[in-house]
Amino acid sequence: MSRTIRLAGIAAMLAFSLVFLGAGKNASKPAVPPKAKAPVIDARIGVISILTGQGSGYGEAITNGFKLARDEINAKGAVRIQLVIEDSSGKQEQALAAAQKLINSEQVAAILGPTLSTEMKVAGPEANASGVPIMGTSTTAAGITQIGKYVFRNSLPESLAIPASVGMAVKKYNIRKVALLYGNDDVFTKSGFDTMKKMAEDLKLSILTIETFQKGQSDYKAQLTKIKGLNPDAVFCSALYEEGAVILSQARKMGIKVPFVGGNGFNSPKVIEIAKDAAEGLVVATPWFADKNDPKVKAFVARYRKAYGKTPDQFAAQAYDALYIMAEALRKAGTSDRAKLRDALAGIRNFDGVLGRFSFDAERDVVMEPVVLIIKNGRFQVFQ
Amino acid sequence: MPFDWLNPYHLQVASFIFINILLGASIYVTLSTGQLSLGNAGFMSIGAYASAILTTRHGIPIPIGVLTGALLAGISGVLVGIPALRLRGVYLAIATLGFGEVIRVVFVNWESLTGGAVGIAAIPQMGRETLAALEKAGFSAASVGLRNNQFISLTVFLLLFAAALLSILFFLRLSSSRIGRAYAAIRMDEAAAEAAGIDTTYYKVLAFCQGALLSGFAGALFAHATSYISPADFTYHRAVEILVFAVFGGSEHLLGPVFGGIFLTLLPEALRFISDYRYIIYGALLVAMMIYRPQGVIDPPLIRRLAGRRAAEGAGR
Amino acid sequence: MFAEQLINGITLGSIYAIVALGYTLVFGVLDIINMAHGEIFMFGAFVGMLIATKAQAPLWSAFLGAIAVTGAMGYLLERFALRPLRGRPGASHLASLISTIGVSILLENVAHKIFGAGNQLFETPFAEIRFDVGPVTVYLVQVLILAISILLMAGLSLWLYRTRAGKALRATAENLETAGLLGVDTTRIITATVVIASAMGGVAGVLVGMAFNYINNQIGLSMGLKGLAIIIFGGMGSVSGAMAGGLILGLSETFVVAYGSSGYRDAIAFIAIIVVLLIKPQGLFGQAAPEAQR
Repeated sequence: MSRTIRLAGIAAMLAFSLVFLGAGKNASKPAVPPKAKAPVIDARIGVISILTGQGSGYGEAITNGFKLARDEINAKGAVRIQLVIEDSSGKQEQALAAAQKLINSEQVAAILGPTLSTEMKVAGPEANASGVPIMGTSTTAAGITQIGKYVFRNSLPESLAIPASVGMAVKKYNIRKVALLYGNDDVFTKSGFDTMKKMAEDLKLSILTIETFQKGQSDYKAQLTKIKGLNPDAVFCSALYEEGAVILSQARKMGIKVPFVGGNGFNSPKVIEIAKDAAEGLVVATPWFADKNDPKVKAFVARYRKAYGKTPDQFAAQAYDALYIMAEALRKAGTSDRAKLRDALAGIRNFDGVLGRFSFDAERDVVMEPVVLIIKNGRFQVFQ
Repeated sequence: MPFDWLNPYHLQVASFIFINILLGASIYVTLSTGQLSLGNAGFMSIGAYASAILTTRHGIPIPIGVLTGALLAGISGVLVGIPALRLRGVYLAIATLGFGEVIRVVFVNWESLTGGAVGIAAIPQMGRETLAALEKAGFSAASVGLRNNQFISLTVFLLLFAAALLSILFFLRLSSSRIGRAYAAIRMDEAAAEAAGIDTTYYKVLAFCQGALLSGFAGALFAHATSYISPADFTYHRAVEILVFAVFGGSEHLLGPVFGGIFLTLLPEALRFISDYRYIIYGALLVAMMIYRPQGVIDPPLIRRLAGRRAAEGAGR
Repeated sequence: MFAEQLINGITLGSIYAIVALGYTLVFGVLDIINMAHGEIFMFGAFVGMLIATKAQAPLWSAFLGAIAVTGAMGYLLERFALRPLRGRPGASHLASLISTIGVSILLENVAHKIFGAGNQLFETPFAEIRFDVGPVTVYLVQVLILAISILLMAGLSLWLYRTRAGKALRATAENLETAGLLGVDTTRIITATVVIASAMGGVAGVLVGMAFNYINNQIGLSMGLKGLAIIIFGGMGSVSGAMAGGLILGLSETFVVAYGSSGYRDAIAFIAIIVVLLIKPQGLFGQAAPEAQR
């Protein structure tokens, strides 16, 4: 097919989406800066995120991170990114439909997202088969990038985070007996738990009990009372911060004073915000540390706070870095061609973002050093 | 390429429409004897898991996996349908909803079989498998002027279309048969049907089994269309969604769930441009619809009117 | 251990019972399962949070505010989603089911728009008051929750069986048309029922916030499902059935975790109703045979 028809098609689609998105959405975008000397690379990047229903808290942080990065990147001028954001409601078939729409109707250069690992397992193979690079920013379960050579992620898997936090905590607190607590109906927390259990077995800790909770539960007292009665040295808890913060609060309230050890998912300023004093003594491992003494991190936190009125969590930070990684790859590729973009992405090494130094390994998975943090005196500090 | 207009996204949405039509119809079939079953998400998961495990772990071909899944769901339909005879109305509805939840919790906990919350990935996808098989025989998608992903989506679309069409035709035919008339009689007045010599027990269990079979069939097809399943696919939300297809579209004629499946799959897609408001509108629309047309969009008088008009046109011509 | 788990179970059970009372009242009069009840309950929790935690107003005002808002929502629900369906030809019990499901989807997403996603802190000085009985720590909130649930049940029973309005309500529940002919203002009675049931949901919402300290826009769903299971289990339209069912479910969920496997906790409610229904299809405290109820 001739290029002119294709261009006309894209132009028509752009016009179409302009009409649909409404003038308001476009007016809020920053004015395009005067053209730099180097040719500007224009790219449409698709985003699949949870905007409605359960899990939309994470989707909100992620899209905020993307939007902030987009505005900054576009202001610099070398790469001009247009985000096409689609909702998945956390459902797999909607994530698949959204991916198909982005790949075929919106003709995006690459896709960022979806939010959940379960969604990625459906959308990933489709993007891979269609030759569209897809990068998860919050998909941490095992076996994600093994889907195919177009599948990437920049989110630290729990299999890297948890050994760091557990190892450190066991050493510092001389932990011998532990209780394990995890969400058994969620891929993320289940994968984290598997790593945790293996770690505990490798370190020859005695596991007093393994307790589970389910999504949307608000009462954890039965499990916690049981754990309290067994008197462990520490509680290893594989939870996302929304549930995790509530668990911590209820645990402290009933008098469980031992350290809690979690992974990357448990790390969020929201834990302190909603659990307050009860958050003291939580140990997590994460690449994201909002109080890091790094000008890049400070600038990001300040801008994010100004735009959205809260401190960014690791979901926002991972999304923010992901779009920068994408921009870097676009610049290196010099084009928004999907195959060339994939090769440029796969070649990203030693990228310095707000999460620290980042590289893709040969399997397009994350190479990053997590920091172990502890909540002390009402804020996250480096645990040492 | 000559078929550039063939958009895999549209084919994808259409494919889900067919699966949802099957699901909506599965509620209708049981409901046509006056039994409201909300366990179809559970039966769907039985079909999906059975076929996924057989094809992924034991290398069974997809068609056999799908049929086995549907059959297993049908058998569990009989097992649930017999004790369910004691229940009526909302009691039956909530008990079957409970059955679905129990099945889901079992799938979450039975890790050795189902992988727990992690689910089953890399299930053979019907489109990709077909293409791979054809390529072995020396065929390429480009030879018919299609890109690979177009060919795959088109295959899924056509297979699901055939599955939905055949099922709907079968049940339409059924509704005007002896069995269908027995169902209608039981729905109208069970005591009278019994008195008229209809074996109500047999027909009620049969309807339950057929509904379960159909949802298991849809579940198995779902597994081979998305290539990944986990217990999160078969929650309370799915049960409610299936119910809404049938009642919104119209629960008094088989074409009701067909319409409901089509319309309510398209609606969230069409509302994508308002992203986070779309489910507010979806909810409001359900309320408004029930107020203005409580029997659903499609009801027998409407069908008679449409059929009458067509007949009149035919006569005029 | 045992004593603490017992208290946990009773607290959870009392909350379940109050949620279930709201369902059972509406079902008893209208034969409708109000699928939006869980979401109304969630709104009650949020209103209570706004008043008690955000505005730091006294606790009683949080209850009043929650009751006022959820009561008003109950009125709107009855007026716009239920009344138009009543007595309509072709409007089966399915229509009202779908209509209330529509309201619940609408409310869940509106709450998301207004209050945002994720957990919100529900903090009151009252929730911190505790005392020790031997080795066991008891929070005053836990006592209050049990007391309120018993009071609500007793009050409801008294109102239904000892007052004129209650008699009118029961007459309406028995037969809408006959009650109307006998001079009962059935529309008013029905509206009052839905308003009262919703306000009870609001009370339950504030109590949940106080007991667990956190609320989010999804609590309506899980609590709603449990409430639904309880009314079937305890017997539709039965006040004491809702109370007993709630307590039994709360206790069994807690003890399954304490002495069994926490993975099956969410299935207990439904396993229980399946078993009970197979033995006694009208539920533990149900009087009428379910055949008579349509």
